[in-house]
Amino acid sequence: MDYKGLTQRIFKPAPYVLAVVLWCILTLKEQFFLYKVENLSVFLFDKLFIADSLKIPGGFLGLAGSFLTQFLHLPWLGALIWVLLLLTAYQLTIRVFRIPESYHPLALIPIVLLIIGNMSLGYGVFIMREQDHFFAPLLGYMVSLLPITSTRRLNTLWSRIIFLTIWTAAGYILFGTFAFTGTLAAVLSILIQPSMKRKERPTLFSCGIVLIILVPLAIYSAYTSYRLADSWVMGLPSVSDDAWTRPMRAPFQIALLCQILFALTSRFLSEKPLEGIKSYVFRSAMYIIAIVAVWGFWFKDDNFHTELAMSEAVDRFDWDRTIEIFRQAEKSHAKSDAKAYASRSKKIESAHSIDQINEIVEHYKDRFFEPTRSMVLYRDLALLKTNRALGEAFTMKDGSRMQESRTIIPMVWQSGKQFYLQYGLVNMCYRWCLEDVIEHNWSYSTLKYMAMHSVIMQEPELADKYINKLEKTLFYRKWARQQDELKSDREKMSATEPYSSILPYMCFENQMSNDMMKTEAYLINHFLDKEPDLATPEYDRAALLFAMHIQDIPRFWERLFYYVNSNDINELPRSVQEAALLYSTLKKDGRELPLDEKVVKSYDEFNRYVQNHPIRSMKESEYPYCQKFGKTFFYFYFFMRDLKTY
Amino acid sequence: MKHLITIAAILGIMVSCAKVPASTGTVDAEPSIFPDYTDVVIPSNIAPLNFRIEEKAEKYITVFTGGSQKIIVKGDKVVIPPKKWEKLKKSGLIVIQVYAMDQSGSWRSFIPFTYSVSDEIDPYISYRIIPVAVESYQELSIRERNLTSFKEDIIFSNTMVQTNENGTCINCHYYKNYTTDNMLFHVRQYKGGTVLVLDGKLHKVNMKTDSTLSAGVYPAWHPTHDYIALSNNRTHQSVHSVSHDKLEVLDDISDLILYDIKNNAVSIIENDSCELENYPAWTPDGKKLYYVSYKYEGGYGEKRKNEMFLARKDFHFNLYSKSFDPDTRTWGPTKMEFDAAALDSSITWPRISPNGKRLLACISTHGVFPLDQIVSDFIMFNLEDGSYRHVDELNSPFAESYHCWSSNGKWVMFSTRREDGVHTRLYFSHIDGNGHFSKPFALPQRDPDYSREFLYAYNIPEFMKEPVHITPRQFASFISSSDATPSEYESKRGE
Repeated sequence: MDYKGLTQRIFKPAPYVLAVVLWCILTLKEQFFLYKVENLSVFLFDKLFIADSLKIPGGFLGLAGSFLTQFLHLPWLGALIWVLLLLTAYQLTIRVFRIPESYHPLALIPIVLLIIGNMSLGYGVFIMREQDHFFAPLLGYMVSLLPITSTRRLNTLWSRIIFLTIWTAAGYILFGTFAFTGTLAAVLSILIQPSMKRKERPTLFSCGIVLIILVPLAIYSAYTSYRLADSWVMGLPSVSDDAWTRPMRAPFQIALLCQILFALTSRFLSEKPLEGIKSYVFRSAMYIIAIVAVWGFWFKDDNFHTELAMSEAVDRFDWDRTIEIFRQAEKSHAKSDAKAYASRSKKIESAHSIDQINEIVEHYKDRFFEPTRSMVLYRDLALLKTNRALGEAFTMKDGSRMQESRTIIPMVWQSGKQFYLQYGLVNMCYRWCLEDVIEHNWSYSTLKYMAMHSVIMQEPELADKYINKLEKTLFYRKWARQQDELKSDREKMSATEPYSSILPYMCFENQMSNDMMKTEAYLINHFLDKEPDLATPEYDRAALLFAMHIQDIPRFWERLFYYVNSNDINELPRSVQEAALLYSTLKKDGRELPLDEKVVKSYDEFNRYVQNHPIRSMKESEYPYCQKFGKTFFYFYFFMRDLKTY
Repeated sequence: MKHLITIAAILGIMVSCAKVPASTGTVDAEPSIFPDYTDVVIPSNIAPLNFRIEEKAEKYITVFTGGSQKIIVKGDKVVIPPKKWEKLKKSGLIVIQVYAMDQSGSWRSFIPFTYSVSDEIDPYISYRIIPVAVESYQELSIRERNLTSFKEDIIFSNTMVQTNENGTCINCHYYKNYTTDNMLFHVRQYKGGTVLVLDGKLHKVNMKTDSTLSAGVYPAWHPTHDYIALSNNRTHQSVHSVSHDKLEVLDDISDLILYDIKNNAVSIIENDSCELENYPAWTPDGKKLYYVSYKYEGGYGEKRKNEMFLARKDFHFNLYSKSFDPDTRTWGPTKMEFDAAALDSSITWPRISPNGKRLLACISTHGVFPLDQIVSDFIMFNLEDGSYRHVDELNSPFAESYHCWSSNGKWVMFSTRREDGVHTRLYFSHIDGNGHFSKPFALPQRDPDYSREFLYAYNIPEFMKEPVHITPRQFASFISSSDATPSEYESKRGE
């Protein structure tokens, strides 16, 4: 068999094919993740911003990373830049370490690690401190390859030492820790050269090590922005929560370690290239491992992706789209839910005891679709904004699936600002923007929300502060100019989205409060605490919705009264009728309610079904009941209990 | 060298091109500029007061005239060359004339404004730079600024000590008699303690004892003896849900303590459980301590804080004093100096002028933390005749807060939120012999846009006669490597 021809035909284009596939996946499947990465970063064409970025070693790398991150605003473009850089890094690795063709796939290892570093991030994206994390490690990896070839080209020991000294010092200032990898890899790649004099080897090696130890120590006195002990990790990504930092740094650190390994093994690799079937098998295996590793570590959680899509739609005030995304998520899980139910039923049939059944039910729990609280709140917000909430909110799935995350990211970091602003709690939105800036750094998102807070509060001087910054961006300039026109024109502001739909919620009196980082609980307390003297129909609709959500019967009647008084309605929305019927029946209070016949019929049907299908455990019966009554408040009341919030 | 000559020649041609327009129309107003430096009194040793012209025009020319000196600056960003600025100031009065050219090419001139050069100011100030926030902090630094230039240095930054897991807060820096060989600041949480510099040597102490409420908070260094009066506070914050005021800060308990430096001992000055004593301030002779207090007789325990937030508008702090014999460390009785409650007001942050004749304080509708109250203004007392007045010359529609007298008593520096309502900035004002303040002017910056662009706040501004001699690295290494020495508790003397 002609393995040479075969490997040529298959493996030569393989990296390019994989790059195209990667770009397609990023653009089609991860567009909202990429958009969120951009949204949570910032690059300003601004002297102060640049000076501030350079106040730590590696600041330049961060700046370059932030510069490129802004292009993720257009996910296809940002993804294209990233993929092209990955491809360049792959080619550079091969050339710098002179990796023979049969070993080319080895150069995929660091590339795979760099991909994993970003795409395994998931909820960690909300607590990143470095705004450049998507591009900076990749740029750092490429930069650290630079001194290797240059050092190799120099002939004398002293010229090499002088070059490495300059590189390490300047490189550390500009690129942080990445410069050290370059220094070490350069030293090692020369040491293994047969042309290197034996006597000079210890000198060069010691020199490299001394430079790595001494340069940060020497440079430290010029900086006042970090601990001496952190000198050797400057420029590597970190997050505010330490539980995340170490594992998320690992792929980047291993990618850098690969450079050291390539430097040490490059001579061996070039002397003993693989041939024939060995080469074919090795290369095939490497590609398979690479694909499996990327796929395995890729953060694929559906709820996370739905949240990101809904968040983006909320930021565009596209309420119909927000609802549609939720419905699509429900729909897309219908088949897998049915499958899971069938499989579970089969297992339950063969179970011998209640304990076993409970075990099976528990085992299958996560296989059924259940939205997170952020998804439910996004959906309800959109429904309220389109005045459909009381009719439709309870026709959709509810739940409180926990985040697929190493630690739970509180809603205040994820979506809290959006809810607070949209429900008129503008100072609470501003407060969490301020905290977010401190905990996780400035971002386009916080600047936008701070500007919106100041515009709606008609604080023009404060609004200027944030608008001016956004005017120094590439993609938010136009938006900033629009806000500039609204900041001191109350009339115009009141007629413009999102302010026009926020102002009706700002009918309450000022109060002192603290949300204790529990966004949903705070919203519930806010809306159900006391009726504002000047309550608007929008406010009363939201209050009734929250009262129905917490399943508090006295609160429901109280809020229903205010709702009916302030809203011009001919007929109560169906879910409200269902709640009223259910509550009056449960409390046997003999209320006379203007109910639709269909509602009464549906309730009778529900009761009959309960009698004929006794419930052994709520979790077990959830699916069949949902299939039949999932669009009713009765189902919500009995099956959606003890929902957790965060 | 050739290139340098060429550049110099080009610059020379540019300067000579910047001519005052020959014929102009006039505008019957002073130009709008930022910061507003129109008609201000300035110290003779202050850095150039650069500004941006905020009038719409195509071209701008600004002419500075002081005696025989004249500087012409082109453009809306008016940056004055420092050497020429020094010569200008010698004239005592600088007249600034702004010309602006509209789209049709015709020039108009505005009514000139002036900088009146007056007494010297202390050459250094220090302040804390903090991000605006409620609870979080990440990067805090105490910095010093040379007022005669634009040089700013970091005295110490918490980022040099804290880790991802363990945050370190720094606050309340203070100097003994404006010199930096005796100074302090507090380090909270990780590696916490009060960092004391005593005759140039570093110490770290823990002033919290079993008999006191907390470690020291707001300090006042005794001017003649080795004592520091401090408040003890248990502070809480809450957010206004919808208001131009964003935050409310209050202490549910606060006391006053005296720290004896020589003996590393703490004694109580005031700790009445019904009184919320705060903000100590010594008279220049060190024989009297002023402070503020409010009598709160509400409940204790968990509910206390929430009840206090609900009742916050009734919190009217009055001004008190206590006589003190520094030689025997004995206290005299408490005396009410100003009944702010009778005026439905609350007085905070008393600071006495170096000649002991005036007391400047913040006055607000309620509460203890003026910085977060838009209505906070300045009130000044004449300690010789007991009269007082609201200092309208200094007050703005936004919050006025922490202030400090210069060592010669001729200048006051204060923090204010007048620029945007949220970001605290530093302003200066001259006080004449009659107790009248000149129009305040903002801390000069090399780039006049800096204040607008800068998203951090200035906090606790203090005058200094000299820079801090200990380097940030020395502070960091000391704080990281040393444990705080616990202070002893001593009983109070006197009364």
